[in-house]
Amino acid sequence: MDQLSEAFINALYLLFSGDRELWIIVATSFSVSLRAILVATPIAIVIAFLLAMTRFPGQRSLVMIIHTLQAVPAVVVGLTVYIVLSRQGPLGDWRLLFTQTAMIVGQILLCLPLLISMAHATFAGADRRAWETARTLGANRVQATLTFFYELRFALLAAIIAGFGRIIAEVGSSIMVGGNILHHTRNIPTAIALETAKGEYAQGLALGIVLLLLAFGLNALLHLSQQQRPVYA
Amino acid sequence: MIHPEPIEYGKLAKTINRQPLFENLHLNIDPGECIVLSGDNGAGKTTLLRILCGLLTPDAGDCRYNGSCYHWKRARPWLLQNVVYLHQEPYLFDSRVLDNIAYGLRRRGHTITQARDIAARALNATDLGHLQQRNARQLSGGEKQRVALLRAWVLSPRLLLLDEPIASMDERSRHRTLFLIRRLQQDGVSLIITAHEPRLFAPLAERHLRLKQGQLNPAQPLTPETGAAPGSAFMLDEKYDEQWHLS
Repeated sequence: MDQLSEAFINALYLLFSGDRELWIIVATSFSVSLRAILVATPIAIVIAFLLAMTRFPGQRSLVMIIHTLQAVPAVVVGLTVYIVLSRQGPLGDWRLLFTQTAMIVGQILLCLPLLISMAHATFAGADRRAWETARTLGANRVQATLTFFYELRFALLAAIIAGFGRIIAEVGSSIMVGGNILHHTRNIPTAIALETAKGEYAQGLALGIVLLLLAFGLNALLHLSQQQRPVYA
Repeated sequence: MIHPEPIEYGKLAKTINRQPLFENLHLNIDPGECIVLSGDNGAGKTTLLRILCGLLTPDAGDCRYNGSCYHWKRARPWLLQNVVYLHQEPYLFDSRVLDNIAYGLRRRGHTITQARDIAARALNATDLGHLQQRNARQLSGGEKQRVALLRAWVLSPRLLLLDEPIASMDERSRHRTLFLIRRLQQDGVSLIITAHEPRLFAPLAERHLRLKQGQLNPAQPLTPETGAAPGSAFMLDEKYDEQWHLS
């Protein structure tokens, strides 16, 4: 119990003391994960939309595979990306290993199955009258599709938040393809792993609390934006 | 404004689950005409309406408008712009009533300001002005139906397709909705209304058609009955209109 309360006090101290190293680690975490989610979201939404709205052979199997991929451990994703990006790998010449780009690639692959699954469930259960109403009121296909997405914005936002939660906290992929390099690829989860390995449990817990507090702040911002009166014409 | 040309659908055919729903079906609608379409459950009334407005693709069919005949595929863009379909339970977008009304106007090239201005005037002219800032999802069933009617009306469609527009409504909502439909008709909009109780639309309907076994046949003319059910359009005399209009 003492260790936990000490960790909490440490976390608050770290947050408000303006510790430069901490904020570099926090910035790396959020910068990498936000870029990953920004790239993954449109890809996931398009795939999920096509999976829900079209019919083709093997569709159900594909959905099952995507659902299964949610269970892939982060370290396996990391290992796969590592093999592809390593010197001997097919993309070794790109020299991306131990860079933030490699971390972003790993995180995209990690959150895609979750994003696609949640968005697919949203589209599959959506009220198709939204699209039909838009069409019969004169919207073209693109406008009607955008209206349809807009009507589902809260469920899609929930999927994005879940996807972001999955990658901001993952350690396996980041440590493997990022290398945990200080001021470059060290993010909060890899820093926690390092502190724990050094026996600095309180410091590790403090970093975990920092991560939670910042994630809470981000979620609160998103929820506040949901409460804004929807206005479009 | 009454559009001068009729709309004619020809050779419409649709098969669902390998069962022909209708074959070689013809239908013409004169400008400003109101047709009541009845039929048993599963006869294909809703499917027919969805084809007429361009939402659903028939197996075959063509459409004649503005003096020329087009294959259905070529007619589809025109249908989507000129024929409006209202679901039995109309779908209103998750936004203000004002923006719901303005939606179709925006798609027709009006600016946001113009569209909202037209929408506000239309709402005020139909005694729905008090709803304009409400979120459309919070409205009652009757209010939703009237807002959806108004949303279609501001587009001045050539043809409006109403799928059971007053089903499961209380008497008051039913009257207000019928009143609005009559104003649409007076404004020159052609109407096709599906109904399980066609006699409720007797004063509006110029033709009563019955869809049975894939064929559209003229049904017995709808004449106002004495002792009509409360809430029927039969009771829509001017005095009654005024009463409901002002309440």
